[in-house]
Order: sequence, then structure tokens, then C-alpha cells
Amino acid sequence: MSETCKVSSERRGDVAILWTDGYINNQGGEEIAREAYSHLDQGVRALVLNLEKTRIVNSIGISILIEVLEKVMDRKGMLAFCGLTPTIDKTFRIMGLAQYAEIFPTQDEAMKKVTSQTA
Amino acid sequence: MTMPVSTAGLEDLWKRVGAILETDAPLPSRIAEAALAATGAREAALYLRERDAWVRAGERLAGEADCPPLPDPLPEGIFVRDGDLWLPLSVEGEVHGLLRLLGVESAPESSNALAFLFGAVVGANRLARQVRDAEFELKARLLELESLYDLGLSLGGQLDLSALADEVLFRSISLTDAGKGTLVLVEPSGAVLLERSVGGDVFAARDVKSWSLPDGGLINNEAASEPTSGLALNSCQKCLVVSIAVPGRRLGVLAVADKESRDGRVLDFSATDARILSLFANQAAAAIETARLHRDAVEKERMERELELAAAIQRQILPRDLPNVAGLEIAARNVPTRQVGGDYYDLFPLSRGRLGFVVADVSGKGIPAALLVSTVHAAVHLQIDEAPTIADLFARIDRHLQRYAVTRKFLTCFFGLIEPDTGTLRYVSAGHNPALLRRADGRVEQLGATGVPLGMFPNATWKEKETTIGAGDLLCVYTDGVTEALDSREEEFGMERLTTLVASSDSPDELCKAIFAAVDAFAAGVPQYDDQTLLIVRSKT
Repeated sequence: MSETCKVSSERRGDVAILWTDGYINNQGGEEIAREAYSHLDQGVRALVLNLEKTRIVNSIGISILIEVLEKVMDRKGMLAFCGLTPTIDKTFRIMGLAQYAEIFPTQDEAMKKVTSQTA
Repeated sequence: MTMPVSTAGLEDLWKRVGAILETDAPLPSRIAEAALAATGAREAALYLRERDAWVRAGERLAGEADCPPLPDPLPEGIFVRDGDLWLPLSVEGEVHGLLRLLGVESAPESSNALAFLFGAVVGANRLARQVRDAEFELKARLLELESLYDLGLSLGGQLDLSALADEVLFRSISLTDAGKGTLVLVEPSGAVLLERSVGGDVFAARDVKSWSLPDGGLINNEAASEPTSGLALNSCQKCLVVSIAVPGRRLGVLAVADKESRDGRVLDFSATDARILSLFANQAAAAIETARLHRDAVEKERMERELELAAAIQRQILPRDLPNVAGLEIAARNVPTRQVGGDYYDLFPLSRGRLGFVVADVSGKGIPAALLVSTVHAAVHLQIDEAPTIADLFARIDRHLQRYAVTRKFLTCFFGLIEPDTGTLRYVSAGHNPALLRRADGRVEQLGATGVPLGMFPNATWKEKETTIGAGDLLCVYTDGVTEALDSREEEFGMERLTTLVASSDSPDELCKAIFAAVDAFAAGVPQYDDQTLLIVRSKT
């Protein structure tokens, strides 16, 4: 796992996939938000966050993810998570992220659902 | 110019701006748009209180990003400043926001109602945010409890120290919002057993066993300016360090550093953080101790399997039956210890009624010793018919060992060759305990070493010696497991007791039994850690 969180992304139609690598803290969360807002501003309607290379998330990172989620919802878009460790999965469910964003085991499953709903 | 805020015209105003306020746009945009619609102004800006400063809300609204200097304290009601109209948005006397109508110098009729309405909206929004923050805090506390519970469950079944360390460190960093963290586990000797870091190494050294740490953990929120004495920490602004310990012994240290905030500041670690980290450390200590005990048990089991295998190798190599050689009486016995040493004996009936025999003792125990015995066994069987003399046989075996032995061990070895026809005993002893030759008249002679142990030095040589072995003479070759058998006072059985026994018996079988019985009686149940081997040959002619 990287010392600092790296975020990469790719747009596929109306959906953008974001891959994180490292600790989602303040810095990592800001990286995600920057990448996500950039895609939303360019008309992306749904985001899939693949966290398979992330093993730690702190409360600052979660609060930023909630901000991203709120922005996506403001725009009537959709946010999905995939590749979560069991610990992060449980953290997201307790902290309320799973109320408005769906969690999928794999990226393929997330893309299938998100693509069908944004088509 | 200041004006008192009243609620006159509120109903009429709500009809005009209510629909705008109920849209899905971000709140600052809604307020600004509603204000423009209500007042006819061209541009509006909204500033909200963020800690001690007024910060512009809504990036796309008018006005400078930094709020212009304002009177302190603020006027009580609507005021004009530098050509703009400012409406304090307050609820119960607390100003939550400032609505700025740019280029408006006189208050429109609706200003008072507008300030009241927007004050209520901003106040409600702030209240909603506080409720949301409180809910977030509540969930974070729930997450702490769940994490403690989960960690307990997870660590309870976790026997992999590495995975266990990751689990503890990740949760510690996550729940304390630390920027970095380090976990170090040490052996009882203080040597590092395992170390993990995320975000950077908190420690500058690993002598964690000697660090002085209070029970509840050590918080240093001034670490940047006041280094924590006695602890070797890398540069960090604030840190929290706890000991991972079981009663009477420190297993390691867990530290987190530089607690993050949303605005990039480094926050103080709190007593709650210290409590959480201490609880994690306590759970980790119990789990680590369990994992260590499991590892020891697995290691013990592995060693026992290895010993069983070594014993099996040894059983395969030792002769099952003793040969019948005319003119000679033979007895031999090997008593392996639980740890399986490397004793070896063998007998070789040769042409012209001769008998060759060997007794050897390999240094070390277990599989390595058993393998070396196996190598020696093979070398003796391969070379015994080829070597012209015993000394040459030893040189060949030694070369074989130097070339093929997988472990750098050595062995003591006595090889004898009896020719009953001539009553001759030729022998070579490679550093072996002196063999005892009891003459028919009861005298006991010692046949000492004629060279260094095999496998010890390359190109070593051995002398071959010759003596007589006549009717009634008895030769006793043994390994040091016999003479060095210990009693409860850790005294050795010794050469004297053995010599007395050898001097007192004419029968190899009876002597063999008598020696082992005497050694058993001497040891009186004290476990022995070396194999015991006897090979006794008596000449009848």
C-alpha cells in the first residue's frame, strides 16, 4: 500500500471508474473528490469507486466521501463502491455511506448495475 | 446606516422567494437567487461563519472570496458599507451569515423580512449540519465499539502474527485519524520479531523493550518542540504511544502520530484516543501471546516429527541381527534417546573368518546427525572391500564426508578388525572414547585415539594399531552416552564404573545387560540426552 493515496480514473460512457491505492485520509479523500468532481463537471452521471488497493479509511476520508456522495445525489447521479475489505465494508455500512451508495464485491458487478441504471 | 430587523412583510416575501428556496440547487445559490428576486439587486454574495472568519459560500456567487473588512463587533441590524448593503442573517441574536447585495446603498422595503427569513434558513441549515455532525460522531463512536468487538473476534482466531499486526495497526490508525502509525513486536531478547508502518515510520530506533511507558499510553501533543525523552521517535508533531504487553513482559509497542483534521491541521490526541489504542494493544497482546504459543507448539510438533524420522533412519541403519563368527562371542545394543543422537555401530563378517566392526558417534542430534550417520554407513559399506588397510578406509571415508556430507559435522569412530586365526586385533580410533580390552587375567587396557575425528580436517591421516586378542580376552567399545550418563546431581557415570563392570564379566551378553542396568540405576530416571551404544566382542580361542 502506498504511503500517500493515489487515484486514477477512466471514463466509460456516462460512468467514471476511480481506482484508489493507499490510505483514504484527508489527502486521499481530497484526491478522490478532485477526480470525481472533474468527471461530474464533464457530464459523468455515475461514479464507481474501486477500493481494492485500499486497506485503511479514516473518518476524515469518510466525511469527504459523504461530500462526494451528496454532490452526486444533488446531480441525480449514482455512486457505487467495489473491492472493499471486510473492515472497510463494515465501516461504510456503519457510517451511513451504504444507505445512498451501493456496495458491490467486484468492479464488473458494479459496472453492470450502474451501466444498466444510467442507460 | 443601520436599521432594526422586523418581520413585517414576511408572508408576502415567502410567496416571492419560497419556490426558489425549495429548489435542489446548493443553499448559497438558492439564497442569493432568492435575494436577487426579492430586491431587484444585480449581484449578491453570501458569507458564512467558519470558525473565526467569514468565508464566501458558493464559488459561483459574486463578491470577493475573502470577506472585506467589517466592523467588529458587527452592527446590530442591516448596514451599508462601501456602497454595498449587508444583511446580517441571525437567529436569536446569533449571526450565522451575511448577505451582501452589491451596489445597493438603500435598504429595499423587504430587507428586514429578507434578513429574518434568510437568517432562519441559514440557522436551520447550520442546525441541520450540527445534527449531521453529531450523528456522524455517534456513528464514529459506534464504529469504535464495533471495531473493538470485531478486533477481539478477528484476533481470537488469528494465528498469523503478520496478519494480526496489520489488523491492529490499520484499525488503530483508522480510528484515531492518525496520519501515520508503526507497530513493532520484539522477541524476549529484544530482537525485532516483526515491524509494520503506514504513512511513515514513527520510530527512529527499535530498542522498544527498554522504553518507559505509562499504563494508559503516552500522549505527547508537543512532540515537534519537546521530543519525548527516552523514546526514539522520528520527527512528528504529535504522537501517542502504547505498550503491547502481557504481565511481566513487553511484547512490543504501538504508536500513531499526527492526528488529521478536515482542514489540514494536526490535532491533539485525546484521552479517548489513548484509551482506544490501549484497548487495541491489550487485545493484541493476548492474541500475539496466543499466536506465539501456537507457533511454539507447531515448532515442537515439527521437531518431534523430525526426531521420529531421524529415529527411523537410525533403526534402518543399525544391524537387525548379529553375525555368527567362529571363535567369537558378540553382543551389541543401542539405546536411542528421545532426541535421537547419532550413534552408529555395524559388523562386517569378512573373508578368512575375520570380523570387522565399527562404533561411531556423530556430533549433533536429529535429522542432520541421522543423515551423517547414513552417509558414514554408505561410505563404510562402499569402501570396506576396497581399502587395503583400516587407516586407508578412514582416509576414504573422510574424503567421502568432506565431499558429500550435507552438514558440517564430524564424528568419532572406532573400527576394529579381528583375525581369530591369528589372535590379532587391528584398529583405528578417530578421536573415539578409549575402547576397553579386558585381558583373560582381568587386566583392562585402554585403546586410545589414533587420530582426529572424521570430517573435522581435510587431508587428515590416522594411524593403524595392532594388538593381540587371545582366548578369554574381551573388547568393549562404547559411545560417550554410556560414560557421560547423568544422575540427578548431574554427575557422570564415568570410566571408572564402566571399567569395573568390564573387569567383572566374561560374557558379552551378560556384560551388556549389566552395563545398561548399572547406567539405568545410576541415572535413576533422569532423562538422558545422548544415545548409548555398546559393542562387546570376546575371543573364545
